[in-house]
Amino acid sequence: MLRIEGLSAGYSAKPVLNDVSINVGAGQFVAIVGPNGAGKTTLFKTISGIVKPSGGRIAFDGVDLLAVPPPQRAHLGIAHVPEGRQVFPSLTVMENLEMGAMTESGRRDWQANVERIFEWLPVLKERRNQFAGTMSGGQQQMLAIGRGLASSPKLLMLDEPSMGLAPSTADFIFERLIEIRRQSGLTMLLVEQRVAEALESADHGYVLEAGHVVLEGNNDTLRADDRVRKAYLGM
Amino acid sequence: MEGFLQALAAGLLIGAVYGLMCVGLGLIFGVMRVINFAHGDFMMLGMYTAFYLFTAAGVQAVFGNTVGPFVAILLAGPVLAVFGYFVHRMLISHVSGTRTASLEGEGHYAQLILTLGIALILQNGGLIVFGSVLASIRTPLSSSAWELGPFFDMSIFLNKARSIDAVVSLAMMILLSLLITRTRIGKSLRAAADNPTAATYMGIDVDRAHRTAFALGCGITAIAGGLLATNYPFHPFVGLEYVIVMYAGVVLGGMGSIIGAFWGGMTIGLVQQMSTLILPTQLQNAAIFAVFLLIIFFRPQGFFGRMVERT
Repeated sequence: MLRIEGLSAGYSAKPVLNDVSINVGAGQFVAIVGPNGAGKTTLFKTISGIVKPSGGRIAFDGVDLLAVPPPQRAHLGIAHVPEGRQVFPSLTVMENLEMGAMTESGRRDWQANVERIFEWLPVLKERRNQFAGTMSGGQQQMLAIGRGLASSPKLLMLDEPSMGLAPSTADFIFERLIEIRRQSGLTMLLVEQRVAEALESADHGYVLEAGHVVLEGNNDTLRADDRVRKAYLGM
Repeated sequence: MEGFLQALAAGLLIGAVYGLMCVGLGLIFGVMRVINFAHGDFMMLGMYTAFYLFTAAGVQAVFGNTVGPFVAILLAGPVLAVFGYFVHRMLISHVSGTRTASLEGEGHYAQLILTLGIALILQNGGLIVFGSVLASIRTPLSSSAWELGPFFDMSIFLNKARSIDAVVSLAMMILLSLLITRTRIGKSLRAAADNPTAATYMGIDVDRAHRTAFALGCGITAIAGGLLATNYPFHPFVGLEYVIVMYAGVVLGGMGSIIGAFWGGMTIGLVQQMSTLILPTQLQNAAIFAVFLLIIFFRPQGFFGRMVERT
C-alpha cells in the first residue's frame, strides 16, 4: 500500500534521512523504532509533504505521492496523527473530529465513523463539546487518533502516541490502538520510542538509526536480534 | 443625564460600525497572522467603490437616494473581496502561509514591507485616480433623526443613517459569526489559524484558507467603510485615520479573536463619543488611546485573548 524507495530528506543543509526504503502492505501493522533524532518524524513529515525529499520515491496505492500537493494527500486516504498530538485547541472535540472528516470518504461515512470513534474512545463522547486545548495530554492524544480515524483512512500513521504521557495512559492508548486495529483491520504505520510495546503489537518492524534503516523484519526476528535486545529491550 | 444618554447612544451606533471594521482586520490577523498595514487603504477603496457604484454605476437611478447608498455599500463588499483575493494571490501569498518557512522571521519582515508598500501605492494611486477633493455618500437620512422618548422628560435623537449603519453592521456580524462557527469553511479557517501544519494533515489547503480569510476581511471592512462614508467625508488618505483605530480594536479584543475584534471596535466607538462629554473634540483620539493603554495595562491579552495555548 505504501512503498518508500531510497528516500533521502532533510532540512536545508542537514540531511536527516538517507536512502530509506520501507514497505507497508495492505492490512499490515508496521512499526518504525529507533532513538531520538533518528529521522522518524521527518519520515512522516515527508510522507505528508511538509518536508520536501531530496531523492527517492514514495508510492501510495500505486500513486506517485511526491507529485501530489501536501493538502491533497489526506484525500488519498492517508491520516497523519502527528507527534505532540497537535489538536486544534480553540475548536471543540466534535469540531476537531469534523476537521478530520474533511476528506470525501470522511464526509460520506461521518455518522458511522463518529459512532465507532465514540465506542472506541468513550472519553471523546463525554467531552464532545469541550475545547480541545483544555483537555489533558492523554485525552488530546485520543482526540488526535479519533480525528485521524474520522477521515476513513486507508493508512493511519501514528507518530509517537505515547510521547509525554504517563506510562499507564500510554499503555491504555496502546491497548486501544490494538483493539481498533483488531476490529477495523486498518493498515497502520507506527513510529515509537517504546520499542518493546511497539514490536510486540506490530507485524513487521524497522529499526531506524541516524537516518538509515539498520534492521528490518517481523516482530520475532527483531525481538530475537541481539542488537535490538541490548539497545532497546534492555535484555 | 440627557447628554450622557445621547453620547451613549451615539457611541453604540458608531461602535457597531467600528466593530465591523475591526473584524475585517481581526479575521486576517487571526487566521493568517499577517499584519496588514494596507487595511485602512482597502477600506478607502471600499468607500470609493461604494461612492462610484452609487453615483456612476446606476445604483442611485435604480434604488433612489434613500435605499441606493446602502445597496451600493453592500455591493462594494464583494467587489473588494475579489480585489483582496487577487492581492493575496499575486502578492501576499509570496510572503505568508506555507511559503514562509524559508524566510527570515517567518516572513514577518517581508509582510511588513509589502503591506506598507501596498498602502503607499493605494494612497497615492487613489490621489491620482480620485483626486484630493473630499467625497461623501449622501443620503437624506444622514441629516435626519428619530426621536426616542420622551422618557422622564428626556429625548434621545438617533441619526437615521447612523442607526441603519449600526443595524447593517450587526446583521453582517451575525452572518459572519454563523459562517465562522457553523459552516465547514468557517471551521476550516479556524483550524488553519490554530495549527496550519495539522490542518494540512487534515487535507485543508492552508493557502486557500488564507486567501478566503483575506478576501472576506477586505470585503467586510469595505462595507464598514461604506457605512462610515454616509456620515463622514473621505479622501484617498483616509485609511491612515482609521487603520490605527482598527489595530487598537483588534488588540483590545484580543489578538486572534474575531468576535473580540468587534467588541474592541465597539469600545473605541463608545470611548470616542463619551469623551466628548468632558473633553474637547480634538482630544477624542487621545481619549481613545488613554483608555486603550489603561485596558491593556490591566488585561494585556485583551478582552477575548486566547485562554488556551497555541500548539
